[in-house]
Amino acid sequence: MNKRPDKKTVSIESADVSAIAYASHCVRLSGMQWVLTGAVAILVVALIPSLAHRTETFVPGENYRIPYHLSEDYWLYEQLAARACAESKVLVIGDSVVWGQYVCPNGTLSSHLNEQAGGTQFANLGVNGTHPIALAGLIASQGRGIKGQKVLLHLNPLWMSSPERDLQTERPVSFNHPALVPQFVPRIPSYKATIDRRISVLAHRLLPQAGWAEHVRLAYLENSDIPAWTIEHPFGNPLSPSTSITLYPEDTPRRRPIVWEQAGLEKADFAWVDMEGSLQWRAFRRSVELLCRRGNNVFVCVGPLNEHMLTDTSLVRYRLLKRRICRWLDDNSVAYFAAETLGSGLYADTSHPISEGYASLAAMLLANESFTTFCCSSRSP
Amino acid sequence: MLFHTWTFVVFFAVAWPVYLTVGNTRLRDPWLLLCSYTFYGWWNPLYLALIAWSTLVDYTAVTLMSRSAKDRSRKIWLALSVCNNLSLLSLFKYAGFVTDNVNALLAWTGVPYDLPAPGVLLPVGISFYTFQSMSYTIDYYRGRIARESNIIRYATFVSLFPQLVAGPIERAKNLLPQLRSPSRIGVSDVTDGLSLFVVGLFKKIALADYLALYVDKVYADPARHAAPALILATFAFGWQIYFDFSGYTDMARGAGRMLGFRLMLNFNHPYLATGLGDFWGRWHISLSTWFKDYVYIPLGGNRRGTLNTYKNMALTMLISGLWHGAAWTFLIWGALHAVGRAATRRLESTSFYRRKVPKPVKQALVFLFVSFAWIFFRAHSLEDALVIVERIFTSGWSSADFPLWAMALVIMVWAYQFVCESRLRRLAELAPVRVLMVLLMILYLAFVPGGDSQPFYYFQF
Repeated sequence: MNKRPDKKTVSIESADVSAIAYASHCVRLSGMQWVLTGAVAILVVALIPSLAHRTETFVPGENYRIPYHLSEDYWLYEQLAARACAESKVLVIGDSVVWGQYVCPNGTLSSHLNEQAGGTQFANLGVNGTHPIALAGLIASQGRGIKGQKVLLHLNPLWMSSPERDLQTERPVSFNHPALVPQFVPRIPSYKATIDRRISVLAHRLLPQAGWAEHVRLAYLENSDIPAWTIEHPFGNPLSPSTSITLYPEDTPRRRPIVWEQAGLEKADFAWVDMEGSLQWRAFRRSVELLCRRGNNVFVCVGPLNEHMLTDTSLVRYRLLKRRICRWLDDNSVAYFAAETLGSGLYADTSHPISEGYASLAAMLLANESFTTFCCSSRSP
Repeated sequence: MLFHTWTFVVFFAVAWPVYLTVGNTRLRDPWLLLCSYTFYGWWNPLYLALIAWSTLVDYTAVTLMSRSAKDRSRKIWLALSVCNNLSLLSLFKYAGFVTDNVNALLAWTGVPYDLPAPGVLLPVGISFYTFQSMSYTIDYYRGRIARESNIIRYATFVSLFPQLVAGPIERAKNLLPQLRSPSRIGVSDVTDGLSLFVVGLFKKIALADYLALYVDKVYADPARHAAPALILATFAFGWQIYFDFSGYTDMARGAGRMLGFRLMLNFNHPYLATGLGDFWGRWHISLSTWFKDYVYIPLGGNRRGTLNTYKNMALTMLISGLWHGAAWTFLIWGALHAVGRAATRRLESTSFYRRKVPKPVKQALVFLFVSFAWIFFRAHSLEDALVIVERIFTSGWSSADFPLWAMALVIMVWAYQFVCESRLRRLAELAPVRVLMVLLMILYLAFVPGGDSQPFYYFQF
């Protein structure tokens, strides 16, 4: 057996590790100090977002809609929803059809409703890309302040037009707002995020400062965090950026409002999914039920889809689906308006009207007895 | 699984309370092993086969050694263990490097043949747990430790999750007795563990990942950057790798401490070292001492004359370089340190150097040398490293565009280290100062960094 060498022969010196009691730094807290630190940290984390909200000099104007690049700024949505609850009579909630993909902020459904009904009764709470599953998540988390309100909830049946849009396929599908969808239950077959990612999303939903920090990144730091921002602006001060203008929407349509036929779009032969198995439909039902549970008076607007763009067989299937949607709404005593398709020249694609289309839809809604009753009713059902 | 992810928080939130419950029962080791294998298998469950194999072979080798009366048989079982571990390392870490170089040689000599690429991925942490397991068999052979008869406990020693993937490379004589003795976790273990963990988290997320943004940008295309950017990126990398690795170690020691284990110190303000020998006594201490005990001393240490001492030192540093990665850049990094150590060893022991040269000058010289060597460690290729060195001395001067925010953070940390090693340490130890520092770190982590976590730099080794 080898002899143990004399320690004096060692020439690669090592620190006397045992002599260093704790670590190479002095940051060591006792139990009480941890309690104190934790309490102060929680307090600051909880307070800063609300204090920052009060100091943020941002006044959404008439017909305000969340800027496209802030579509994932759910903290801003929460603030807007709270403001809309206090200032508007009807909250219009939905995806890009409500938001107004092909129109200016003054050409959306809510703005035409305001124009035709007079006043600023309708608030645009549409968010680009919020398919029903994401919308259900948005309403559950950031829309928790929507209580005892009148809500015009838009249903875009396009999300049920194929297994891919319905997120049913096991094949991964890239979709908007993955942070809003259920991360584990109910399972979404097309959502293939890692478990790490899903847990991270859930944690961020629970942390009070996470949404605000994300808001700062999106609205003030060009969609990057402070470290990344300073790399791009090495001599800039990330604490005093002057970019709050980004909170205001662009006064131009997101996409050029060209009628679908002129844009060269072909007729679509959507297969449409079975309603009973549809994940998007289930999520939409959850949204309705949740809003009703919170004491809101909910009115659903189904479509109007661009039926001119559907092949004959697809149209038959779509109408069957639409009837079944209406039946469910009837059975559950939810007031609704199943809009007839608009004129072919009023659509930019399968589901998005151009400004004249929204004007037409607003007129149809305001002529609908059920809708006017809803508008004139008290807030609580 | 990475320490700085929410997945680890959930994992620990399950593992720790159960551990507290079963800590003094027969279930402790099986629970720790289950947790450790879950932690490791999170990357790729197939890797578990490797760690289980290494564990089984070393456990069996020591068992057979204990039953052998003859020294020759014991040597055979030791050789089996060492060969097994080195084979695993060779296959998964060095096969690609060897193949590339053989193919280059064949091409150079005009032989029309290419060895097929091995196409194996490097399992995370293989360099760490094979060294840890190997040290057990070697120490047992040397008669320094007793055999561990419980295979579950031995497997737990090899795979203990806090230090499994990036060290500290624990020795059996430190960790096995802790696993054998009853678990005693006091309030101070929890609070100290938490303190270590928060500091490590801050080092990793707030400092290392931040500096990496600048370093990656410059090192991705060094030919497009002038001397100031290359110099600052090199200094920044020195800090990045320190914060990254020592941050991991702090978190590992913190998590271990909360489980009642005292893992060894791995870093001790290396950039305040006053000599290269001092540096290696402060940097990656568990690896330095491993190489000292299992390579340098068996080679003869400094017992066979000056020439042999330098030869042994050079060999040790070269092997250390190769341990870090299978590339010529790592070998050159090791060679630079070997040359530097050989050149300064005598100087460092002179009274002139120790007493006359001001401490800040010595620290600055060491930092400059270590930073220069980091160029080869960090560069994507030998060509890139040479371009960087050349451009540092020949390219013009233009703005480095180094973020002031990052500069301020590094200066604060550097100042803090100086305070820690001076009489002012008492100031840093004042309770309000400590509370304020932890609070600021937590708030910084809560509000400032982005969402995506970067893997630890040393995971690639």
